[in-house]
Amino acid sequence: MNIAVKHASALTALSLTEAAEAVAKGETTAVELAKAALDAIVAGDERVNAFIWLDAETALETAAALDKVPMAERGKLHGVPLAHKDMYYKAGKLSTCGSKIRAEFRPGYTATVIERLEAQGSFALGGLNMAEFAQNATGHNQHYGHCHNPWGLDYCPGGSSSGSGAAVAARFVYAALGSDTGGSIRLPASLCGVTGIKGTQTRVSRHGVMPLSFSADNVGPLARTAKDCARIMAVIAGHDPKDPTSAKEPVPDYEASLDGDLKGLKVGVPKNYFLDDVDPEVMAAFEAMLEVLKGRGATLVPVTIPHIEAVATYGGVVSRVEGATIHAEWMRQRPQDYAVHLNSRLYASMGIPAVVYAEALARRGPILKEIAAVVFSQVDVFVAPTIRCKAPTLLSTDVDAGTPGALDAFNRLSLNTRPINYMGLPSVSAPCGLDSNGMPIGFQVQARPFGEGKALKVADAFQRDTSYHRERPPGFAV
Amino acid sequence: MSMDIKALVREQAEAWSGVIPPNAVSEELAAGFSSLMAGLSALRGQLAFEDEPSSFEAALQATKEPNP
Repeated sequence: MNIAVKHASALTALSLTEAAEAVAKGETTAVELAKAALDAIVAGDERVNAFIWLDAETALETAAALDKVPMAERGKLHGVPLAHKDMYYKAGKLSTCGSKIRAEFRPGYTATVIERLEAQGSFALGGLNMAEFAQNATGHNQHYGHCHNPWGLDYCPGGSSSGSGAAVAARFVYAALGSDTGGSIRLPASLCGVTGIKGTQTRVSRHGVMPLSFSADNVGPLARTAKDCARIMAVIAGHDPKDPTSAKEPVPDYEASLDGDLKGLKVGVPKNYFLDDVDPEVMAAFEAMLEVLKGRGATLVPVTIPHIEAVATYGGVVSRVEGATIHAEWMRQRPQDYAVHLNSRLYASMGIPAVVYAEALARRGPILKEIAAVVFSQVDVFVAPTIRCKAPTLLSTDVDAGTPGALDAFNRLSLNTRPINYMGLPSVSAPCGLDSNGMPIGFQVQARPFGEGKALKVADAFQRDTSYHRERPPGFAV
Repeated sequence: MSMDIKALVREQAEAWSGVIPPNAVSEELAAGFSSLMAGLSALRGQLAFEDEPSSFEAALQATKEPNP
């Protein structure tokens, strides 16, 4: 191996915060990071299919310009190459939303979160694969090819932010934005062995982001570590006048709270729902994770989550009806241009009566208040496996291919994530083990509304004592 | 209760939204609503009159982390 290759491998092994620090110290440059990332993509993306489009020329030009910026004028993410789920608008750039319908869509304006990331000196390499219109949990895409899990190419990378999870896991980029309406950040984070956060509902602006569900959509990052996620959340969170639904809550310095000390912190372990029918290997990894948290000083408290049946039922209603509403015109004009698993879901959702949808929305606030009163009066956070089962294969969950049982397997993935969206709570997923197939297992941490810092603190503390977040998929270790 | 859920969904989607079943899987998904209906049925009686109108954003504020 020559020195240049060795150096590139060392660069892609860095976390986002380590890469930003290396640029800030003059140990590397934006151009070097971009070249290392592009080399990794050329070497690996034929297998993974994480990118829908790649713009290496613009990325290298931007990186060169960033290297000329005086040190004193540099931001928190200066010189770090990223890429995002292909649904974040940038004026004049392609944004396919993973669809045939928007195959040539070039928006006339830029998403606020992209502007905020760029203002801190990051730049994007291209658009990442995703479920069509962000509407599946598996990573299938009939139009741009399925995204594959770098840990096992036959396995689901998770969706809908499939390319985001896969690209971070394969060391193509240091972080990627995903979106989460029912688990779409946390599911690929869990299945690809990376860390991801969905903030409190309203925490991050959605201006310039493809909509799926007005009530449940969230923007957030997938990265290698909780610290990386903390860095990005601090950049993208906060009120945006262009998104009147975004919260006016001040944004704390999330990284400052990451001290590894969990003494006095009470961690809830659900007695109901979240541990039902969990695969034994997933359960073993989850229980081992609890021991690590105890070792860091946390106290484990069994908790019963009230109204969880209502949460699970209503959670699916809200996003389905809102998704069907958004897509109604295209479903009338060109239903054949959607994949089967999507147009069938959109069609069926039109059969849910308005009064049921309104009931689901009307009960959301009162249910959250009761959960807070019962659960968060006893604990600071509660934890659960992100996914109850081991990683499924792409084939076993392929509805369009007509695989028997695919619909059930498809729906099983989001059992533990979708309820959190209905509750509106911040949630971090982090890796906590590998199953007997060598595929990652993840856990998720939930905190009170606007308690992202606490959820990140728990994930970060876990990562101080473990190395799952540092491990590379075998085929992608240079 | 005996009902043809596929027909119910077909009628509603076409009458109210002008959308027809695009394929057999869509009808299968519609038929799967029986479990959603059962779930909703089990929740009846829990919605309090005073809950309406309810602001979810207000609930987020009311329950937020005191030391973020």
